Amino acid sequence: MSDRFPATFAAALGAVTVFVFLAPPASAQLGSSVLFAKEAATASSSTWTPPRTPDGVPDLQGVFTNSTVTPLERPKDLGTKEFFTRAEAEAYEKASLARKAATGPGTYADVHYDMAQFGLEKNQSKVADSIRTSLITGPDGRVPPMLPEARARQAARAALNKGHEFDGPENRGLSERCIIWNNEGPPMLPEGYNSNLQIVQGHGYVAIMQEMIHDVRIIPTDGSPHVSSKVRELMGDSRGHWEGNTLVVDTTNFTNRTALRGSSENLHVVERFTRTSPDTVTYQFTVDDPSTWAKSWSAEIPMTKIDGPIFEYACHEGNYGMPNNLSGARAEEKKAELAARKQ
Amino acid sequence: MRRKLAVLLAGAGFLLATAPAWAHHSFAAEFDPNRPIKLKGTVTEMEWINPHSWIHLDVKGPDGKVVSWMVEGGSPNALLRRGFNKNSLPAGTEILIEGYQAKDGSNRANGRDITFANGKRLFLGSSGNGAPDDKAEK
Repeated sequence: MSDRFPATFAAALGAVTVFVFLAPPASAQLGSSVLFAKEAATASSSTWTPPRTPDGVPDLQGVFTNSTVTPLERPKDLGTKEFFTRAEAEAYEKASLARKAATGPGTYADVHYDMAQFGLEKNQSKVADSIRTSLITGPDGRVPPMLPEARARQAARAALNKGHEFDGPENRGLSERCIIWNNEGPPMLPEGYNSNLQIVQGHGYVAIMQEMIHDVRIIPTDGSPHVSSKVRELMGDSRGHWEGNTLVVDTTNFTNRTALRGSSENLHVVERFTRTSPDTVTYQFTVDDPSTWAKSWSAEIPMTKIDGPIFEYACHEGNYGMPNNLSGARAEEKKAELAARKQ
Repeated sequence: MRRKLAVLLAGAGFLLATAPAWAHHSFAAEFDPNRPIKLKGTVTEMEWINPHSWIHLDVKGPDGKVVSWMVEGGSPNALLRRGFNKNSLPAGTEILIEGYQAKDGSNRANGRDITFANGKRLFLGSSGNGAPDDKAEK
């Protein structure tokens, strides 16, 4: 897998370059404020016709952010309440953006950066409005409980990991190694900052480039089947088709390395992209994994247009954090060794 | 065996990595919360690199000896979007950095707070209160 990755990336970049030249320019930004998702859906069905590409398929192209103040899982005190009223949503968003990390002396938040100094706070970037109380839809609003076999799998991994977390770079997580981040998915979940992506379309393909951390998803929409089940990929194998105004993308063939909330390589993701207003693509997904959950779960995330371009995030170019983490661990070990000798 | 183990652990690590939303690696593994430092010095270079920017500065000690430090900051993309650019922190600028030193005791630190000689913060980023690119988007 690691040998193949750079080649895949290079091919992906090449393909996107071609798409940019082939594809029509993204539709002009109209500057209207983002509608609430529910209202936008209503508006789209009555007064607004989403644009189409010269191929006659829905035009989803543009630069978007999926940054949000809505949590993935619904806070337990909200019970089965799936939507806020508009006033409640506005108050919630205001409170969320104003909320600062708790900075009690010695806490992690206290010694970390002042996020505002580096442009990393949510209130420093555009956030799509939503009246949802959680990204996960339905009365539960939460990821279903894991099956016993999935919990056992997770515990076995944790036991293997214990005491070896800093043995070498191979022991560190994929994100710390600048290989792949959660937001790249699928499913594509919002990231804490730089949560931006660009959608481009060419004949028979949709490509999604994530700013963080560098990957491009190339999604064929030409009716071709999934690759052999023997081929496993970090981001799975995605195949798309059009249903009315919606792009539907089916992804399988995952590895067991990109675990979504404890999922296995049997993860199956179905995503739906619908342009619900000039500035909004409503992104919905459903995931199932019979090795992990007794039932599937779904979420909805609004993506709102932003001024481009997205910037390169060549994560590995200056990943000093990796050697620094390992040298920190070696220093800790030395300290422990000296302390043991003194006893 | 070691290789197989490493692959398994990598998966587990990815899972755990969902916790901190603001950094792509563990602060606690890299820096020592028990080693707060204050560095007053002159910028020699700003490295615009991912996943974190790094500020290099020369710090003159009480004995007159100059020591070079490097300090970790936020990601270049976020800084760019807020109006920060290559002219914002040129070599020769005097700054005061409050942060925490690397665990291995080397001359590296995180930049918790950065202040210019005139008392202004490096980047007061919240919309409407002094960001270089003070457009209230939201």
